[in-house]
Amino acid sequence: MILHLVTPLLFFVSSGGEAVVDSQSLTVYADVVYTSTGERIENGGVTVSDGRIRAVGAMRAPKDALHVAAITAGMIDLSGHVTTGGSVEESREVTPEIRVAGTLDPFSISWARQLRSGVTTVLVSPDDRNVIGGLAVALKTGGEKSIEARTVKADAALRGAFGSEPSRGNHPAYGRPTDFYSRRPTTRMGVEWEWRKAMYDAVAASKDPARTFPGSDELMRALKGELVVVAQAWATQDIRTAIFLVEEMAQQVEGGVRLVLDAGAETWKEPDLLKRSKAAVILPPFAHAGRTTDGAFMAWNVARRLQDLGVTIALSSHDALDDGARLAMQGAYARRGGLTLDEALAAVTINPARMIGIDDRVGSIEIGKDGDLCLWSGEPFQATSRVVGVVLDGELVVDPRAAE
Amino acid sequence: MHRLMLATAALGFALAPAAIGIDDGDGAAGVSGGGNGREGRAERPLVPERTTAYRAKKLVLGDGRVIDDGVVLVEEGVIRRAGSGLEIPAGAGVVEHDGTLSPGLIALHSYEGGGADLFDATRAVMETADVSLAFDPASGDFARALASGVTAIVLAPTPASLCPGTTAVVKTAGGTVVKKDAQLALGLGAAALKPNEFPTGYAAALAELEGRFADPKGNFGKAASGNLPVLIQAGTRHEIQRALAFARRFQLRGALLGSTWAEDLVEAIEGSGLSVVCGPVDPGGDAREARSIAALSKAGVRLGFALDAPARHPDSLRFAVALAVRAGMDAGAGLKALTGDAAAIAGVAGRIGRIEPGLDADLVLWSGDPADLGSAVVAVYVDGKLVHGGTE
Repeated sequence: MILHLVTPLLFFVSSGGEAVVDSQSLTVYADVVYTSTGERIENGGVTVSDGRIRAVGAMRAPKDALHVAAITAGMIDLSGHVTTGGSVEESREVTPEIRVAGTLDPFSISWARQLRSGVTTVLVSPDDRNVIGGLAVALKTGGEKSIEARTVKADAALRGAFGSEPSRGNHPAYGRPTDFYSRRPTTRMGVEWEWRKAMYDAVAASKDPARTFPGSDELMRALKGELVVVAQAWATQDIRTAIFLVEEMAQQVEGGVRLVLDAGAETWKEPDLLKRSKAAVILPPFAHAGRTTDGAFMAWNVARRLQDLGVTIALSSHDALDDGARLAMQGAYARRGGLTLDEALAAVTINPARMIGIDDRVGSIEIGKDGDLCLWSGEPFQATSRVVGVVLDGELVVDPRAAE
Repeated sequence: MHRLMLATAALGFALAPAAIGIDDGDGAAGVSGGGNGREGRAERPLVPERTTAYRAKKLVLGDGRVIDDGVVLVEEGVIRRAGSGLEIPAGAGVVEHDGTLSPGLIALHSYEGGGADLFDATRAVMETADVSLAFDPASGDFARALASGVTAIVLAPTPASLCPGTTAVVKTAGGTVVKKDAQLALGLGAAALKPNEFPTGYAAALAELEGRFADPKGNFGKAASGNLPVLIQAGTRHEIQRALAFARRFQLRGALLGSTWAEDLVEAIEGSGLSVVCGPVDPGGDAREARSIAALSKAGVRLGFALDAPARHPDSLRFAVALAVRAGMDAGAGLKALTGDAAAIAGVAGRIGRIEPGLDADLVLWSGDPADLGSAVVAVYVDGKLVHGGTE
């Protein structure tokens, strides 16, 4: 149920000193407003109307007003795989031109699950069954049931994967009956070869139109840095492969790949290389025994160590179905590993927004940005705090009072 | 009790073959290439002109209207006049019954006489595959359909690939092809995706079809220019959304096939101008489907019903309507969906589907209201000839 809170003819003074009058606006008050711009406003409030943030600042809450312990910007998860099962075209291994947006189901209940957990924007990528899977899309997790209407940024990134996942299940054509999975790649080396071949083919196509192939334009845009590449690489060897490949291609094409390493669990093992690459890192969910996919080890203090290196980090949930692994809890785990509250907040709001270039719309509480807010029962990223309410595009879509 | 009275005049019914599926010669040549018009039909054999009058307590016209004391005058297999209390010309043969006379029912998507031979998913795109050449007109499936009052079907290639071929409108009496290349079948549902060959995902599937329509040739060209309606299979809501966007982009006209989840998208479907081929709906199935049909009907979307025989009994066509009526669909609209609207969706409204002068005399005499499942088929006439039931 969407509830419009009508606050007629009330004047609020924003932090910018701007007076806002709106009969259809919603104001949420909190003990502390964390803006993701480094500011903390005690006894503050945020006013949204027509889908945008109209005012933010110190405000005295009227009686019976909507009041919570803390407000942050709506969280952003860059590792969303809220897909339909038809997201990958496995008849080829390299499909840069495939748009995952054309495979999604806006009616899936997975969106509501994300939304209720405080995630208001997700980057949805094709599942990693291909080497280069296609174009990811940044979407709101609620609102009108149409992928088009929910799109924050189409073609927000080119998605691919290193490591064992794109080759899993494939086998060589010899030794057993030929079937669909008698396909490349079957090894890590094969995965790397497919990446490199696709990129060199794209360079060749850019010089000779006769060599154009589906996806060559998208690959060239990625090589020039016009399209962010989000590449999954859990283990050290895969992180090294990704960075070496990007460095090699920078010799071929001016601009260079803007690389975001997704699920970079072992990025901490290659600090110098990581720094040199200027790659940003999306950390996978913290694993209790430290072991993640591909045997990659991720310690509790990885976020802290990357932060100290000056690497831009984002936390992610990988669509965890488990409440204990959702994005809010990832922030808590990162704090347990040494990240400060503001750093953890940035890693689930403004950092991911900047990584894919949607920070003009989302990622912080600033006047004019989308009215996406996360309402907390206590200090954000404490084990005892929960996301109790969500405002999406200016509408209270999860009402904290509903549960009371 | 219902009673069939046959007051045959001088020439009597001896002229009409009473057995099912007997072709009097016009069947084989009776393919209409042009679609709606009657031009292109073969000349009938020279027989003395005579009129048969069908009189029933109620006349379901197929356009939503029902009239009392209906009389239909048929000459040479064609409806000449129809109305309430018409004077029956002297010398006319008379078929009189206290039940209801309706146009023959039309099932929009079925496999009579073809069955598994119409399922070919070995290629993703087979736009020239033609079902009208791939069925057995002598199949017993047709007799079964006639016994349920189904006088025409849209024979369709199974929508298990991106473009399985074209559909054909076939009369169940003798397997006469009324219209070949009636619709271009397209598959945008999960059934068109394959676990082990192209396409495995929606995006590439869509890209493939977009490519076919970007520079359309052959049947894609006909569909893109509006000369060949499309029949787009789409199951779940996101598939329907994708199908609507696709049809809008290439300005395709035609129908969606599959309506289980349509209730959440009624407005979008109505706005698209596309019709919907519903069902088949089985009792005990997803209640959402019957609700969706009722909602689409109320919104004014043109509907017809799929049958998918011989896997399903032809009676399930009326059963599907009954379930939709149970969910709120107007019973009259339900009958229209099985007759006039079905013919319009199949592109043969100028030939069959209504009781109207100039249209084929494909008529079903029911013991009562055909929307009532308690009513039985008493007699079936195709091109004015008794092909099922009745008495000599």
